Amino acid sequence: MTATLTGDEFTVALFYCQNTPGSGEHERRSLEKRFRASLRLYPLPCGGRLEPRHLLRALEEFADAAFVLTCPAGECRYFEGNLRTEKRVQHVRNIIESIGLKPERVGSVMNSKEDPKPLVVIAQGIMAEIARLGHSPVLHPRPPWTDTKEKGEMPCDYR
Amino acid sequence: MITAEQKPIEEIRRMIEPYTSVLLIGCGSCVAECAAGGEKETAILASALRMAAKMEGKTPVIHEKTVERQCVKDFILPLAESIDDYEVVLSLGCGAGVQAVAELFPQIPIVPALNTGFIGETRDQGYWVETCTGCGDCMLYWFGGVCPLTRCAKQLLNGPCGGSRDGKCEVNPEVPCAWQLIFERLSAFNALDRLEDIYPPKDWSQKQGLGPRKIIREDQQRQET
Repeated sequence: MTATLTGDEFTVALFYCQNTPGSGEHERRSLEKRFRASLRLYPLPCGGRLEPRHLLRALEEFADAAFVLTCPAGECRYFEGNLRTEKRVQHVRNIIESIGLKPERVGSVMNSKEDPKPLVVIAQGIMAEIARLGHSPVLHPRPPWTDTKEKGEMPCDYR
Repeated sequence: MITAEQKPIEEIRRMIEPYTSVLLIGCGSCVAECAAGGEKETAILASALRMAAKMEGKTPVIHEKTVERQCVKDFILPLAESIDDYEVVLSLGCGAGVQAVAELFPQIPIVPALNTGFIGETRDQGYWVETCTGCGDCMLYWFGGVCPLTRCAKQLLNGPCGGSRDGKCEVNPEVPCAWQLIFERLSAFNALDRLEDIYPPKDWSQKQGLGPRKIIREDQQRQET
């Protein structure tokens, strides 16, 4: 499968903390213009507000993958929102793995403290990675005579 | 509160496999507190089940509802409006909730989604611990508010076994010795004399052996018409 940086073929739900560097309105609009419906952006007041069901609902209804971008370690305005996000993402990964979906379809990216990347750069990395994973079998079911379950891979570093 | 944990999704899927329309019923009380069967967990499970079905090319109807208390008839009665639209109910209540729904709606099969655990307390976020056995004859007064039946691995009523080390249980070194706690609490209240009595073996007839236990309070009952 060919990876496409424009992400035309895949849909990603990207939840992001509005307090992380380079995640203002200007960046959001520019990303929406570039990726159109392939990238659905959901700003959050803090990554800790993300619930597992948000990620699952995105995967169920439209997204080939669902990610969340949080503030760097130790930089969360509410002290531990980014740490909670990591745990919730892991919980969702366990759930989707138990139904035969690749856990890599859900992920969290904690921005780097030393070299924070803007939303645009992180979104590009995620889109490229999702192109490698391919379409979600939830949205594009495989024929019943094939193996409907995906096999997990090692998580990647999207920073 | 009653604690519970969700069954593995694979097991749940096997139980609901023959059905094409499923109603998930969550409970907003104890099992919501222990993050097993509340509104959020019900939504998560419903979503996971729908996705799993879609991946296999199936399109079952899977809806979810959460009632405030699944073990109280008054709270589950409103389900009567829609429950017949489904082939099966998947309950995220404790064992009592599952059976209350089963009794009220005998026409529809019910499947438990949780494994009910114990009566316990929320010690910290995400940490629940058993503190009550429901013996039917509470002795917490005599033991300074620490139940040796539940918290002592050997369920000793007449003093420690002598095997504890550094205040920890010899059976499970991660758990504090219940008798150490009892001694410390009674000492703090100058009530160590309560331990001078000899306590006979527990009378378990208050808890088991006669079928399900009942409490009847006529002052709380509805007036017969």
